[in-house]
Amino acid sequence: MSVEETEETPEIEAGVTVEDEVLETLGDTAQDTEEHLNADASVVVRPDQVQDTLFALRDEMGYDHLSCVTAQEYEDRYESIYHMKQYDDPTQEVSVVVPASKDEPISQSAEPVFRTADWHEREAYDLVGINYEDHPDPRRILLPETWQGHPLGHDYDQDSPQIVTLGEWDNPLRDDHVDNEADTMFLNIGPHHPATHGVLHVKTVLDGETVADVDPDIGYLHRCEEQMCQQGTYRHQIMPYPDRWDYVSAGILNEWAYARAAEDLADIEVPEYAQVIRTMSAELCRIAAHMLALGTFALDVFGDFTAIFQYSFRDREVIQNILEDLTGQRMMFNYFRLGGVAWDLPEPREEFFEKTRDFLEELPAKLEEYHDLITGNEIFQLRCVDTGILEPEVAKSYGATGPVARASGIDYDLRRDDPYGYYDELDWDVITEDGCDNFSRVLVRMQEVEESAKIIEQCIDLLEEWPEDDRTIQSNVPRTLKPEADTETYRAVEAAKGELGIYIRSDGTDKPGRFKIRSPCFSNLQTLGEMSEGEYIPDLIASLGSLDIVLGEVDR
Amino acid sequence: MATEQMLPETLRTMIGLPDSVLGQAIAAFIAAFLVGNVMLAYTGVAGPWAKRKITAAFTDRIAVDRIGPFGLLIIVADAVRLLAKELIIPENADRPAYDLAPVVVAGSAMLGFAVIPMGGLGPLNIQLADPESGLVYVFAVASIATLGLTMAGYASSNKYSMLGALRAIAQNVAYEIPLVLTGASVVLFTQSLQMSEIVAVQQQTLVTVAGFSIPSWFAFVNPFAFALFMIANLAEVGRNPFDIPEAPTEIVAGYQTEYSSVYFVLIYLGEFLHIFLGGAIIATLFLGGAAGPGPESIGFLWFTAKIWGVFLFTQWARSAVPRVRIDQLIEIGWKGMLVLSFANLLLTALLVGVIA
Repeated sequence: MSVEETEETPEIEAGVTVEDEVLETLGDTAQDTEEHLNADASVVVRPDQVQDTLFALRDEMGYDHLSCVTAQEYEDRYESIYHMKQYDDPTQEVSVVVPASKDEPISQSAEPVFRTADWHEREAYDLVGINYEDHPDPRRILLPETWQGHPLGHDYDQDSPQIVTLGEWDNPLRDDHVDNEADTMFLNIGPHHPATHGVLHVKTVLDGETVADVDPDIGYLHRCEEQMCQQGTYRHQIMPYPDRWDYVSAGILNEWAYARAAEDLADIEVPEYAQVIRTMSAELCRIAAHMLALGTFALDVFGDFTAIFQYSFRDREVIQNILEDLTGQRMMFNYFRLGGVAWDLPEPREEFFEKTRDFLEELPAKLEEYHDLITGNEIFQLRCVDTGILEPEVAKSYGATGPVARASGIDYDLRRDDPYGYYDELDWDVITEDGCDNFSRVLVRMQEVEESAKIIEQCIDLLEEWPEDDRTIQSNVPRTLKPEADTETYRAVEAAKGELGIYIRSDGTDKPGRFKIRSPCFSNLQTLGEMSEGEYIPDLIASLGSLDIVLGEVDR
Repeated sequence: MATEQMLPETLRTMIGLPDSVLGQAIAAFIAAFLVGNVMLAYTGVAGPWAKRKITAAFTDRIAVDRIGPFGLLIIVADAVRLLAKELIIPENADRPAYDLAPVVVAGSAMLGFAVIPMGGLGPLNIQLADPESGLVYVFAVASIATLGLTMAGYASSNKYSMLGALRAIAQNVAYEIPLVLTGASVVLFTQSLQMSEIVAVQQQTLVTVAGFSIPSWFAFVNPFAFALFMIANLAEVGRNPFDIPEAPTEIVAGYQTEYSSVYFVLIYLGEFLHIFLGGAIIATLFLGGAAGPGPESIGFLWFTAKIWGVFLFTQWARSAVPRVRIDQLIEIGWKGMLVLSFANLLLTALLVGVIA
């Protein structure tokens, strides 16, 4: 894997590299170049030319996916990095590095180019302290409005007292929310509400039963995940942590995101045998996560505890048992290690294979049952078809990925388009639907479960046949990893919810200098307004459910 | 059957009270107390225990089984738990409407049972009163519940409650008309609004198949009307696919969001009583009342089985069917159910006119 990853794959056409092309397109705008392990080109531009640069890259070179915005502070400057990709080919990556001065960290906002920059830049302002000029909504996003200082900045005072109660900085019941003249009603949905799947607060303005405006207020579950990682050692202290990000059964997928980035950074090989095990366990996790998504979505549309919720949980339980056999844990797996996995398949292997095969054999009948209960149900179709529409162009602008993007007809799956693990050796398909609605999102997840089952089956076949003397589960990795200072990389994997990316900059020690998590849920949640404004409350709830967000990953 | 003695009268003679106004009143009070308590007992079993067991059976679970045989003592535990909870009343609640609403919701359902012929149990004929306008009365008192829901939603001073109340009104208006119209199509057959008469007409034999005589229950005579009535009834009692006034995942708990402790119990009780009242109306109008195999003295058991059957149906729908959206509900109500129930009424009138 790491061979593929570290290999710079510039399109060499008659000796012209991507970097040359980018520099030619940008002309004088490009000030300098840097080297990022993942990107074909990393250009430094002036803070007042961000929009020009991104417009040029998007419209002239086809970099239409602003995957992530990383902000960080150096000794002498602030820096925002715009990680750009192409939806058609995510291996085509360009980093746009925007330094800002230490005294006056002002940088132009990229929001007019990519809508997704809205939240990403708010987060950068909130946590690092860079001000974005032209930003339509320059508020804090994760922390309360009254927070003093920017926690990831260098001069942040951890001991300064903070006022954090909601009533102190934003009283939702204050008088200006009650406008006797207006026909609209302000409604707080959440942070404690049956349908918000965690602590999400959706500030909603209603016109009768119609949703006039939606403003998701996130941050209730902010757990300083990035800073936690910046204080942990690469090999031992960060590795178990990703399980806690998206904590609903997608743990191994998260672990892979970190493993991929770190292995790329430190140039670590992963043995083939371990790759197969990784692929198998990741897909088991994906099925578990999709089952949960299906069950909770049914909960949102049907009402409380219905047959379908319980059925999908029953079947998810089987996977949890398999994963427990494999990893020793049901949720917090801690199974991956840099350079491989923690241990081999459980003995006796035949029993494990049989158990997994049994599950795969029963799966089609179960999915059939789901289809009978859910997708075949006319009332369900009435509720979900043509509601929560997310047009492909809008989805791209918001950086939507995963099942949400694929249900809008965007054929984008990192497992195939930016191969890692053992995926490119196996036979499976990327599922897309063109409905762009809630119904399509459910269909995509259900079909992806089938595809994951295919992958698992092939992995099991491989593992069964694997010669006994070639079962290396970990490569040799130094006890203490100290990647060369100022090595930077941004790597993503296809998690259950979409593109889960990790940016790491090493500072020469055994802990990362900057650790940034690109959460798929964070970007996907941004589309909620597009999907639900002008629709009815029940559609807002259904759309929220169809996004399949986990607040632990949104808030990080 | 229409000439049979009503329960208060039977009780009066059994106890030996004088045939005066006072004697009748006391007897009527005792009879109402008995019938009311039986219904409350059904509700007590249905709410904390049967509902859980039924839902669990549908959803592949076990549900309560820790206390008592089959977990039955959960009823006691739940009663203690719910009544012991703190009664939280919102600061801006509009009292006394807020306090009256639970009573209205539960009370309106209880009133309905006054005219339901529940069949014989031993020497007793369990029916409290049999006015000539029985059917009209039962529809009328059942709709009072909507008033209770509106009071609850408005007086709670909570936006979710308000939304729930508005939805409850919209839903009940949209479905009460089809409900009454479909009920009226039964009256065309019976030529009477008197409940006992409606039951009596259904005792005649419709057809005899291989020695079994099928009674002319209106569910058999006019299955279309029966289906319409069952659907409209689901909307009346607010169960899936029409549990829109509560819609737990959308508007938290609708009109009952701000109710706790005793008030919550009353509202909950009212809801279940309404399901049983709906079952009782369905049994009376379409399923031959208390009729069934065996002697007339076990009629009450048949009646019980029928209302529990309807209860089971509502729980089944709740476990398996998605909820429709409020606009879709209104559309189904006004454009679908109303038209169909008018068609049903006209066709029935034509048929009855031609045959009779």
